[in-house]
Amino acid sequence: MRVLFRLLITGIYIFLMAPFLFVAISSVGDSAMLSFPPRSLTFQWYLQISPSLLDALTVSLSAALTTMIISSGLGIWVALAIARGRGALARILQLLSIAPLSVPHLALGIALYQAVLLLWDFSGVTLAGTFRGLVLGHSVIALPFVVRGVLAGHAQVNASVEEAALSLGASPMQAFRNVTLPLIRSGLVSGAFLAFLASFDDVPVALFMGGGEDSTTFPLQVLASLEFSLKPDIMAISTLIVVVSVVIMVVLDYLFGLERFLHGQSAD
Amino acid sequence: MRRPRSTETARFPIDLKWNRWAVPGLVLLLVGFVGPLLLLAVYSVFHDGASGQVVGAASLANYAAILSDPFYLKVLRDTVLLGLVVTAACALLGYPLAYFLARTNSRWRPVLMFLMITPLLISSVIRNIGWIPILGDHGALNTLLLTIGITGSPIALMNNFTGVVIALVHALLPYMTLLLMTVIRSISVDIEDAAKNLGASPWRSFWRVVFPLSRRGLAAGCALVFTITVSSYTTPTILGGGRVLVMATFIAQQIQTVMHYAFGSAFAIVLFLVAVGLSTLASRWLERSEV
Repeated sequence: MRVLFRLLITGIYIFLMAPFLFVAISSVGDSAMLSFPPRSLTFQWYLQISPSLLDALTVSLSAALTTMIISSGLGIWVALAIARGRGALARILQLLSIAPLSVPHLALGIALYQAVLLLWDFSGVTLAGTFRGLVLGHSVIALPFVVRGVLAGHAQVNASVEEAALSLGASPMQAFRNVTLPLIRSGLVSGAFLAFLASFDDVPVALFMGGGEDSTTFPLQVLASLEFSLKPDIMAISTLIVVVSVVIMVVLDYLFGLERFLHGQSAD
Repeated sequence: MRRPRSTETARFPIDLKWNRWAVPGLVLLLVGFVGPLLLLAVYSVFHDGASGQVVGAASLANYAAILSDPFYLKVLRDTVLLGLVVTAACALLGYPLAYFLARTNSRWRPVLMFLMITPLLISSVIRNIGWIPILGDHGALNTLLLTIGITGSPIALMNNFTGVVIALVHALLPYMTLLLMTVIRSISVDIEDAAKNLGASPWRSFWRVVFPLSRRGLAAGCALVFTITVSSYTTPTILGGGRVLVMATFIAQQIQTVMHYAFGSAFAIVLFLVAVGLSTLASRWLERSEV
């Protein structure tokens, strides 16, 4: 019984790791057909990564970074208004700011696409297929992560430390910056990290808001190449992305603990 | 979500007029979320004219078509079925894994936790293409099956529902495991030991004690997995190879390829209702039906 259970757990772990191992294996195989097992090993695909994939990765990284900055910059204040603001606005924000998580992102992508087409009809402003449009969409799906992260961090803020700061002569702004903000920092970091991922990982919103020269993200480029055939250089660049991601996770795990990061993150 | 009461909010002595600072965020939500979704709802009651025009008088004709045409009903049914299969598989695999991670004293636990979580944080497109060298006709699994002699010719493991199910279970298993693990850890080992001391077999003590107490986590996990599955686009696209039509892939086709904006909008609203509605109902039922 015990042995069987161990075997089952081992099997599940092999299942969880399998696709990443095989991305790496295929990236050094000689066959352009991705057959298994590869006949010989080669690193040639790493030298032949297509420029369109590298461009797309650059777009993805800059979109994710911009999204992270915008959604963190706006989201922290939304969260604080929810936690300590008053009246109808705070309550409306509370309902609205988490809502993008429960709407299928494909529906949101379509809705945004139709909205920006309508905007174009009326004003001639183009957002579909531009970097600005892509970041707009990504900021909407990323905002809930920041708000939730900051709210979780804020739950640890105690009113008495703020009172202490104020009674010792700090101005409200000083007290906020030097006392409150450091307390919610880890929540903000985890929210910002998930915001980055929400953008980097996204397909359904980019499908409608991206696709232009400066807005074809890495996932879109991979999807486009799949329509012809899957070349091993995609596996090579993917292996590099996996390695870099894992290194980042190890660092974050060491600094903050990854487990806390993921409460109900969702993307596909 | 915690619901701060007004008496509670008044306790924080620093008052920087928080509402005012939140206005830009509110504007983003109104412009990028509320407005577009309202437009989607409005479009959904009109008709598709030539070349992407939305015309006609308002009616529920699009919704009536979705709920009566056999073809659309099949797309709906396949999507819900996919959701149920993936949810069941995640529950079956996630439970033992969560139980193991919650109860193990192994010094490898941090590493095992890390290995369980990281797949979640790696780009979903990469996760999906990693299955191609495994599931393809010349892939690892078919090579293995052919070598052992279980099958004489390659089995189609991708470009069909099988591949989509495998990849979705892989993608969503960590969510289920995380939610279950949190609940199982909160159940004291002492209760299990008490049941065993009173003569229950390990299996019986699990089934009669731990399992009932973990239903809430199971319900939450199932609801989450079901919601993500029925609205998933990336996995059915990559591992379905254009041959798997679920709601998300069908809707994207309607908008991108045939420019049926009105009909696509109606279908997107149905998708939203299925994703959120069914999973809410299911988790209510799971939570209530026992305990």
